[in-house]
Amino acid sequence: MRRDTQHMLLVLLGGALIRIAADDTYLRYVRPSHRWWLLAAGAVMVLLAAVALARDLRGRTGPVDHDHDHGRTRSPWLLMLPVLVIALVAPPALGADAVARSGGGGAVVRNTDLYPPLPPGPLELGVGEVVNRAAWDESGSLDGREVTVTGFVVRRGAATVLARMTIACCAADARPYTIRLVGDVGDLEPDTWLRVRGTVQPGSATQANRFTPSLAVLDVQVVAEPTDPYEY
Amino acid sequence: MITAVRSHVTSLHVFCAVLIAAIVARPVIVDALSAPVLRTAATVFVAVCVQALPFLVLGVVLSGVIAAFLSPAALRRVLPARPAAAVPVAGAAGLVLPGCECASVPVARRLIGQGVPDAAALTFLLAAPAVNPVVLVATAVAFPGEPGMVGARFLGSLATACVMGWLWQRAGRAEWIGDRVRLRAPTPTGAGRWAVLAETARHDLVSAGGFLVLGALAAAALSVLVPAAWLDALGAQLVLAVLVMALLAVVLALCSEADAFVAASLSTLPLLPRLVFLVVGPAVDVKLIALQAGTFGRAFALRFAPATFVVAMLCAVGAGLLVFGGVR
Repeated sequence: MRRDTQHMLLVLLGGALIRIAADDTYLRYVRPSHRWWLLAAGAVMVLLAAVALARDLRGRTGPVDHDHDHGRTRSPWLLMLPVLVIALVAPPALGADAVARSGGGGAVVRNTDLYPPLPPGPLELGVGEVVNRAAWDESGSLDGREVTVTGFVVRRGAATVLARMTIACCAADARPYTIRLVGDVGDLEPDTWLRVRGTVQPGSATQANRFTPSLAVLDVQVVAEPTDPYEY
Repeated sequence: MITAVRSHVTSLHVFCAVLIAAIVARPVIVDALSAPVLRTAATVFVAVCVQALPFLVLGVVLSGVIAAFLSPAALRRVLPARPAAAVPVAGAAGLVLPGCECASVPVARRLIGQGVPDAAALTFLLAAPAVNPVVLVATAVAFPGEPGMVGARFLGSLATACVMGWLWQRAGRAEWIGDRVRLRAPTPTGAGRWAVLAETARHDLVSAGGFLVLGALAAAALSVLVPAAWLDALGAQLVLAVLVMALLAVVLALCSEADAFVAASLSTLPLLPRLVFLVVGPAVDVKLIALQAGTFGRAFALRFAPATFVVAMLCAVGAGLLVFGGVR
C-alpha cells in the first residue's frame, strides 16, 4: 500500500474515533470514561499522518524510513472496515438479541455484602441494583418499596422482561440484568425502552430463574432510548 | 512506491473506489446488517475496535519513544546480562505498563529491535497486560468476597510470562521471529529523534492496526456463534470446565481490564476454571494471535500461541491449587 493511502486511512480512522467521541455515539460501545482515550487516540492518529505527509511532501523520508515489506502486506486495508462500519451503519447498542444470546439469564454477580439503606420516598434505581438487592440483600431493603426502573423489552415466551446491559469495559463484556414484568403491560415490541414503576415481589429472584426478580407493575411509560444505554 | 514498473491503478485509486462504492451501496449494507445476529456482531466488532485502538496507539507511541530515545546500549545497562536473569526483570517491568494487551505487542517488538534478548521481550509481552495495577485492582473489585483471586491471578500470570521466557530461551529459535522485527534504524540524534518517533509510531500503527481489526472481527463472530449453553452444566466437571474456560478466554478476546467482571458473573463455576479464564485471556486470545502474527510473523505465532495456551493453563491451575489450597 502506498504511503499516501496509509496517511488517508489514518486520518479517516482517527476522524472516525473523534467523531463518535464528539457526540454520544461512543456510549453504545464503551463506558463514558473512555471518551478521552478516544479523543487522544484519534488526535494522535491524525497528527502522525499529518507529520508523515508533510515530511513526504518535502522529500525528507529517506529509504531508512520506508517500509521494507512493501507490497507484501495487505493488512492495512482492514483498517477501512471499522471506518466504514462506523460511518455507514453505526451499529446500535446491544439489545434484546444479545440478552437472548447470553442464555437469557440475569448476571449473578454478588456485588457486595452490605447494601446501604435506601432513602425514603419514591425510588429511581438501576436494573442491576434492583436485581442485586432482590437477590442478595438479606435485610430486604426493597420489600414493599415502590421503584422506578428504565430498560428495554425482551420477550421470553409469554412473559415480558425488562432488561439492561451492564458493561465493565466495552460491549464485548456486557452482562444482562433482567426483571420480569407482572401485570398488564400490553403487547410491546422487543427493544422498546420503558420506564416502569412497580413493587418487587420479595423472594422472586432465585438461582432457578437466573436471578430475574418479578416486578408488580403499577405504571408503564414508553420512553426514548437513553443517551447512555448501559449501566456500570 | 519502490516497484520498478508503476502500475496505473495505485492503492489510492482502490481506496477511493472502495469509499465511493461503500457510500453508493449504503442502503444495501444497512439493510444486510439489520438482522439481529449481525447487528449484535457489528456492535461487538466496533466495541472491540474502539476499546482497543487507543491502547494500540499508546503502545505504538511508546514503541516510537523506545526507538528514538532508548539506545540499545542504555537498555543493556538496565537489563541483567544473562538472559535467564533478564526474564524475571522483564516480568516485573510489566507491572508498570497499565494497558491492555494490545499496547504491549508493539512495545515488545521494539524492544527486540533495540537488542533486548527475545526471551526477556516476550516475557514482558505476556506480563504487561496481566499483572499491571489497573488489572489487579479490577480483579479485586470484581471478586470482593475472594481476596485470594488477585494473588492467584498475579502469581499465575507472572509464572506464565517467566516460564514462556525461559522456555523460549531454551527451545526458541531466532529465525522464527521475522527479520523485519530486528531491523534497526541508526540511533538518531537531536531533532532527528522526533522524526524517528513519529515514523516508527505511524509505521507500527498501520501494520498492527489491520491485525487488530482482524482479531476484533474474529471475536465478534465467535461471540455470537459460541452458544452460552456451553457454560451450563459445567460446574460439576472440573477438568472440562477448566478446558472450556481456557478456550472461552481465547475466543472472546476480552480486554484484560474487563475479563474479571465476566469471570465473576459466571458464579455457577468453581473458582479454579474462572482463574484459568483470567490467566489465559491476557496471554493468548484471537485478537492477540492476529496481532502477533502480523508483528512477529506467522511462524512465530503458530508456535508461540499454542505453547502459551498450555503453559498459561498449567500455571493457572498451579497458582489456584497453591492459593486456594485445593479445588473450590
